Amino acid sequence: MSGPEEAKEWSCAACGGALEIVKVGFTYMKGNFEVDLPACRGCGLVLVSEELATGKMADAERILEDK
Amino acid sequence: MGDATESLCPRCLARIPAERHHQGDEVVLVKRCPEHGEFRTTVWRGGPSLSGWSRPKTPVRASVDHAGTERGCPFDCGICPEHRQQSCTVLLEITGRCNLACPVCFADAGAQAGPDPSLPVIEEWYRTALHKSGPHNIVQLSGGEPTLRDDLPAVIALGRELGFPFIQVNTNGVRLAADRDYAGELKRAGLFSVFLQFDGTEDRIYRAIRGRSLFLEKLLAIEHCAAAGLGVVLVSTLVPGVNTGNVGAILNLALELGPVVRGVHFQPAAYFGRHPEPPPGDARFTLPDLMRAIEEQTGGLMRMGHFRPPGCEHPLCSFHGNFLRLPGGGLRPLTEHAPACCCGTPEPENKGTGRAVSFVARQWAAPAAGETREPASLDAFLEDFRTNTFAVSAMAFQDVWNLDLERVRECCIHVVSPDGRMIPFCLYNLTSAEGAPLYRRRAC
Repeated sequence: MSGPEEAKEWSCAACGGALEIVKVGFTYMKGNFEVDLPACRGCGLVLVSEELATGKMADAERILEDK
Repeated sequence: MGDATESLCPRCLARIPAERHHQGDEVVLVKRCPEHGEFRTTVWRGGPSLSGWSRPKTPVRASVDHAGTERGCPFDCGICPEHRQQSCTVLLEITGRCNLACPVCFADAGAQAGPDPSLPVIEEWYRTALHKSGPHNIVQLSGGEPTLRDDLPAVIALGRELGFPFIQVNTNGVRLAADRDYAGELKRAGLFSVFLQFDGTEDRIYRAIRGRSLFLEKLLAIEHCAAAGLGVVLVSTLVPGVNTGNVGAILNLALELGPVVRGVHFQPAAYFGRHPEPPPGDARFTLPDLMRAIEEQTGGLMRMGHFRPPGCEHPLCSFHGNFLRLPGGGLRPLTEHAPACCCGTPEPENKGTGRAVSFVARQWAAPAAGETREPASLDAFLEDFRTNTFAVSAMAFQDVWNLDLERVRECCIHVVSPDGRMIPFCLYNLTSAEGAPLYRRRAC
């Protein structure tokens, strides 16, 4: 999971502002969950790391997508 | 006129043309043998309508060791090049012995069984399954009653060593109930989950179907599996007029028993093995009969619209629905079915098998012990779903009366026969009206 240190390494592509850790809500099919992620408070852009996208988020997707 | 397919004559097992006749929401398989006349079997009765009950797929063929095609489907199984689906579950029958004498038995197992296959023979079967369909299948150790083998832990460990991660035991639970340490032994050997024969919540049902009272033993077996951290799937054979009125009670009890019970798998009785005659008056319990019974008997907790057609096997063969147990005791459906439309994109059939295997792998293992909670963080969400998802499924096996070779060619549940062929489960167990087997060798 992304931490405050990783957030500092990135800046917002749209406005150049610093990213900070915020609670981001995800909705997929009928599931809702929240993850602390680096995001730009001004533009609302969120950084999702490859590790998260291909790890736990992919697990959640598989759970919700049924056999 | 209806949809053309092929079947077998119930009397002489000759391959004959057949048609699915649609009459409203009812579908009847009609076939005529030049020698033995016409046979009609209802294969789908009532809503949800069979039209729209499918998910678009494109065929996938097994990649290695096709059997010959001398006589054509269903006589050259092994799998033959006409087959359109890969395996998702592979059955190994590791004993013909049984400690019950059920009036209903697809395997016709029991006292006249021959000697058990040795560990080297079972290793050959595992290697056959590995070669023909790879390790990413569910291996189900079946019989007979597999727990009658004292070396069952060694059989399980052997399968794990050879690379199969998901090994299940198909059992009546008698030994699991009698020996409180046995579930732990199987778990330590590498067992993944228990497929527990569970026909109802009343002993009259067990006396009718299994020959004696068994309900308390079933509960004890589940308790011992829970203590050992082994997930249990309850498997109910449904016999019209015996326990088709008990499906709601089975589901409610399964939910009460907590996360150790990963789900319920219903199997409407097929008419082969020890029970080759069809039900009188065509009283066969079809999949839509079952979906409606679930809705009625659970008071709408689970509804027909929550159940989906399969992504793996033929649409006439199964349905499934997934639900999330809620902390207050309710259920949240995770699946629903929207009838197929012309704009769906077909997917390769092996994508369906892959998804079926990964679903079973995720769903049928025991959950980690923990508190039930509402999903909040991603971690909690994942854990909540792993622990509290409850799966309801059903499979309509085929017998010589309702056999449809189009369904057979899409079958993904295969038995490794003693001579090393992979044979669709229904064909392996199929017998004529007089009890003559198509494939299975007689036990004596």
